[in-house]
Amino acid sequence: MKRYLALTRGNFQVWLAYRFGFFFTIIGNVIYLGVAYYLWSSIYQHANVIHGMTFNETFIYIALGSAIFILLKTYADWIIGNEIREGIIAVYLTKPLDFQLYALFSSLGGILMNLAAISIPTILILTLVFKIQVTMGLGLILFPFSLMLAFLISFCFDYFVGLSAFYTESIWGISITKEIIITVFSGALLPLQFFPDAVQKILLALPFQAIYHTPLMMVTRPNQGWETFGPMLAVQAFWVLALFILTRLFYNQAIKILRISGG
Amino acid sequence: MHSMGEYLRLYFIIEAQYIKARMQYRADFIISSIGMFFSSLATLAIFWVLFDSIPDLAGWTLMEMVFIYAFYMIAISPMQILFDHFWQLRFHVAEGTFLKYYFRPLNMMFYYMSEMFDLKGLTQFFVGIILLIYASVQLNLDWSLLRLGLLLITLFSAALVQISIIVAATCAAFWVINAWPVLGLAWKLREFSPYPMSIFDGAFRFVFTFVIPIGFVAFYPSQLFLRPEEISPLIYFSPIIGIGMFAVTYWIWTKGVNSYTGTGS
Repeated sequence: MKRYLALTRGNFQVWLAYRFGFFFTIIGNVIYLGVAYYLWSSIYQHANVIHGMTFNETFIYIALGSAIFILLKTYADWIIGNEIREGIIAVYLTKPLDFQLYALFSSLGGILMNLAAISIPTILILTLVFKIQVTMGLGLILFPFSLMLAFLISFCFDYFVGLSAFYTESIWGISITKEIIITVFSGALLPLQFFPDAVQKILLALPFQAIYHTPLMMVTRPNQGWETFGPMLAVQAFWVLALFILTRLFYNQAIKILRISGG
Repeated sequence: MHSMGEYLRLYFIIEAQYIKARMQYRADFIISSIGMFFSSLATLAIFWVLFDSIPDLAGWTLMEMVFIYAFYMIAISPMQILFDHFWQLRFHVAEGTFLKYYFRPLNMMFYYMSEMFDLKGLTQFFVGIILLIYASVQLNLDWSLLRLGLLLITLFSAALVQISIIVAATCAAFWVINAWPVLGLAWKLREFSPYPMSIFDGAFRFVFTFVIPIGFVAFYPSQLFLRPEEISPLIYFSPIIGIGMFAVTYWIWTKGVNSYTGTGS
């Protein structure tokens, strides 16, 4: 465990070198929040409640969703893809490390940096500038756990895309497709409540909603009990387990075709 | 200096070679094109779902939004297809490989950008054209020769605005290490250009109209075809804005190129 945490620390420090950039990322996110605010204000011109959600709830959902989006952006797919294509993976294969855990703990370093530098400032701005009122409740206490599970699921998708570099020259196409499927199907761009009922049922059965919709609902509707939140967390845990096993199997398959010319 | 015709001929030769080389990775091309196709349609899917719950967005109907979005897709295509090498500038600058572009008797921006021709961007371009035709038919827009001419001029101007914003942001790499976030910000702003500018007020509308004029990439020029009776006179300045912005960007690029000193190795 200790050696994996060293990876997390190392990656945290690598990200620290890029701190000049956080300023721009925060500005970018503030502009995004402003745009989202105007956009949703004009959507809510027609009604106070749409699909059972008030403007305030929808805006928390969307704004916090964008904070999570940046939080989860560790570029793990690109980093792993690059390591495989350039053959750097050979270095890791000779070490007593599990490649999946190596990738996971490295990407955790990026998460911690994102959390401190971008997500927390975004949430502060949200509460100060937009004067968003969040109600207290069990959901808020469970939110960090739900977010952690969301990270593990999101990591599995990144890891899977990264591993696809064993088969193709560039992972651009697969990575962009993954990103679009996740942002559209998870509720990151539009709360799932807005989708037609039949589509909503399908989306709730897929793993993507466990990345955004589940943690976001805990904050927008925190005043509910275990009977609501318990099953939500269980579904997340199920997807974490399932996707971890599936990506492990995929790795075992993919590693067989690896050939690295000495050099 | 070479003439325009010579540059054009040269461009075709370079791109023909480039495309041949890329075709070695056919699977990659197909997967990337599919990715581009989905990313083009994602926003449309969101519109479609959203308009199920609301009658209009700040007075604009779904089909009008499709038109604006199609205009946007076509307008950003030249940036995507012809200027795609901008993504790599920061690596070339950081690793010193940018030096090679000084050693040809060619315009440096031309030489640099000609090294890449983004094939997958063609998907976006064609989807944009199909959607534009579809929305025009649904909206019963009549296309006289004059209006088609206007469409070409406004698309050209819009493309220049988009290219300028992105290339200018890319140039930050000449002065700052890790200039990615500047580019990332410009890239993110691009996504807001199909929104009706009328939903914004105050600072946002001012910035999107006069400072970083993303409103001129899609919304303002589209008004000319959707609701000619409501347009603001600003739209007639769009060619001047496009050409002016490109001139400024070219000046920034030249400054950057002249101040670059390599990596010393």
